[in-house]
Amino acid sequence: MPKPLAFIIEDDPKLSAIISITLDDDFELETCADGNTAMQRLETIVPKVVILDLNLPGLSGREILKHIRSCQRFAQTRVILTTADNRKADTLDNDADIVLLKPISPAQLRELALRISSMP
Amino acid sequence: MSYQFTVSMLPLALAALLSGALAIYTWQNRQSIGATPFAIMMLLVYEWEICYIFQLAGTDLPTKLFWDKLMFVGVVATPVAWLAFALEYTQRRAWVNAGRLAALLISPVLTILFILTNELHGLFWTRVSLTTQGGFFLLDNINGPWFWVHALYSYTLITIGLVVIVRALLRWPKQYRGQMSWILFATITPFVANIIFVFKIVPILIDLTAFGFTVTAIGLAFALFHHRLLDIAPIARDIVVDGMKDGMIILDGNRRIVDINHAALQMIGLSGEQKYIGRPVAEILSKWPELVAHYRDVLEAEDEVRVGEGPVQRWFQLSLSTLFDENKSMIGRVITARDITDRKLAESKVQESEARFRQIVENASDLIYRVDIHGHITYANPSVVRLLGYVHEGELLGQHYLDFVMPEIRHQVQQTYRNQFLSKTPTTYNEFPVVATGGLEIWLGQNVQLIYEGEQVIGFQALAREITAIKRALDALRLARDQALEANLAKTRLLSKVSHELRTPLGGILGYAELLHQNAFGQLSEKQQKAVSEIMESVGYLSNMVNELLDEAQLTSNTATLQKKMFSPLTLIQQSTSGMDILAKKKGLEFSTYVDPAVPQQIYGDDHRIRQIVINLVGNALKFTKAGSVRVNVTRPNEDCWEIRVTDTGMGIPKESQARIFEPFRQLDPAITHENSGVGLGLSITKQLVDLMDGRIVLESEPGKGSTFTVLLPIK
Repeated sequence: MPKPLAFIIEDDPKLSAIISITLDDDFELETCADGNTAMQRLETIVPKVVILDLNLPGLSGREILKHIRSCQRFAQTRVILTTADNRKADTLDNDADIVLLKPISPAQLRELALRISSMP
Repeated sequence: MSYQFTVSMLPLALAALLSGALAIYTWQNRQSIGATPFAIMMLLVYEWEICYIFQLAGTDLPTKLFWDKLMFVGVVATPVAWLAFALEYTQRRAWVNAGRLAALLISPVLTILFILTNELHGLFWTRVSLTTQGGFFLLDNINGPWFWVHALYSYTLITIGLVVIVRALLRWPKQYRGQMSWILFATITPFVANIIFVFKIVPILIDLTAFGFTVTAIGLAFALFHHRLLDIAPIARDIVVDGMKDGMIILDGNRRIVDINHAALQMIGLSGEQKYIGRPVAEILSKWPELVAHYRDVLEAEDEVRVGEGPVQRWFQLSLSTLFDENKSMIGRVITARDITDRKLAESKVQESEARFRQIVENASDLIYRVDIHGHITYANPSVVRLLGYVHEGELLGQHYLDFVMPEIRHQVQQTYRNQFLSKTPTTYNEFPVVATGGLEIWLGQNVQLIYEGEQVIGFQALAREITAIKRALDALRLARDQALEANLAKTRLLSKVSHELRTPLGGILGYAELLHQNAFGQLSEKQQKAVSEIMESVGYLSNMVNELLDEAQLTSNTATLQKKMFSPLTLIQQSTSGMDILAKKKGLEFSTYVDPAVPQQIYGDDHRIRQIVINLVGNALKFTKAGSVRVNVTRPNEDCWEIRVTDTGMGIPKESQARIFEPFRQLDPAITHENSGVGLGLSITKQLVDLMDGRIVLESEPGKGSTFTVLLPIK
């Protein structure tokens, strides 16, 4: 059984690397460091899980989230939103499947990613 | 019975007819004073005259005697009726009561009895006979002793009545003297006629007394009903003059008193008007010689005079006029005086209160002014004059109020007061700047009321206060507030930025430490594992601190908002305390949670923030409790709220510290130890969050025994 695809959109290369290492065993990975590129990639791929940073160069995480939620193609796609701003985290609570306030614990992230990717 | 009527009886018949008519007419007008006895008297006279006609017409003695005897009913009763009339007419009605009337009628009744039984004793007539004169049969009776008793009695009654009437008539005003003499003549006529007949002064055998009464009747009736004179004349002086509240004194040309009424005497302090008639006026006014001297030769005056001093001081409205006769020569003076002390007192009270109010208005530091309906100033108190840089009120009067208003807002101010006028708003308050002389800008805060005259608005009255200083202070305050808000926002933004910038590297540290810990980069030695654990713990602490600082910053700058939705309190408690039991077990503490079934399954609120509150309180309880238990109880004390109660058996909080425990950066023990590590924002944030939710947090604690934090939150 092929591993589900996780799309990591994170501009901080260190965090991107940490998340990649964390999810490498259980997911097929795609990474991207800015909003515009992420949007282009999303035209061709349909990830099972998107780890989405709210603050991104180019298109913001919020806009990408809105795009994902508006496309029928991504009906099965789960979004874990990461942010360092707890106020923004509060307001996005309803759109994302999970909001994680930075700093992120890799162990927690792995557990959550596995859990939501197995949801129908 | 046989009769012989002749033309010579016609006047007597006419008199009888007239008497009868007068009796009826007077009876119909019996509301007039004296009309009832007058009507009865006329009826008696009528009977007298009718019987007399038949007596005269009778041609034989029995016929004549029959009518003569019958006639005496009228003859004997008429004087009684006359007296009753005279008394009633001169306001002595009370004297005429049933007992006295009966007494008065004793003699007449006896007379009638003696007449009827005269044949037996001859007391009334000693001889009864017929005589002829000029072809007429006439009674020629010789009067007996009782006749003279009857005559004397009748004259007495008639005389008393006459005197009473004449005395009343004498008091009539001069202009009625003509009528008076006429009436006097009328009343005397029957008396004279009777004397003539009884004493046979003129040799006629026809009794003219009844004629006399008819003349009286005509005279009196004329006066009574035509001039309505009898209605008022006898009482005119007594009631009008004595009854009036105004004092009246009539003086003759030599300043002697001709008449003076009760009121005048009372004003002077005397009584008994009669004894002052004829006395010089200076004598009775000796108390006030200056008054007498002042008006000695004054012919016409209309003055207010003051007499006496102090509490007995009185004011009179004095009017003096001179009476002249037809030849324009002075015959006397009439003085009337009205006591106007009460009015004067009231006036002086009004003046006093007016002066008082004027003083208040004039000395008020507030600005008080009035404008007419067109906006022109009609009054300005000294404060207004001073404020606008003028010296006299006169300089302001007539100027338009808008000329003082700052030109830029004139239109707006004008509109405001036009609206007040149109909507008839009783009072308005407005603030606007005016310009004093020299261009000085002054802010006014003014109340404006409409001035009414009846239904019509005739102007505006303003009570204003200079608020320039207040206005400036307020502007400064507003600026300071805006700056503070700005600064607060900047602080929040900075904190937000700082915490974001801190979190990013923390993400790196925590991420790599955890990966190391999970041996993602190869197996670590035990020492290495321990070191990595320390790193992770420190990162956790740092991360918590960053969160708390940001929360506190948001709450103090009022930029924190609640994200409300429906949530399950049970799930919330389970989630926020999951993991807590592991910590408790580690410390050897008993840990329990209980959610009462009465608590609604779904509540509307910010579950994230409530979770934060629970974690804070439970975290604190676990941190500061060394032995015993930590319990979380969720209940619903009443319909409107639910309650989260966290009870521990920790060290407790002393009374003196309880109040400060919710202040930011406070901890019981200021020394930083491993045990109480933390910035001390947890409870401050908790309290602010509870406040933000319109809830309440209560602390009950006893040192050594433990603490209970109760959070009450509304159910909306």
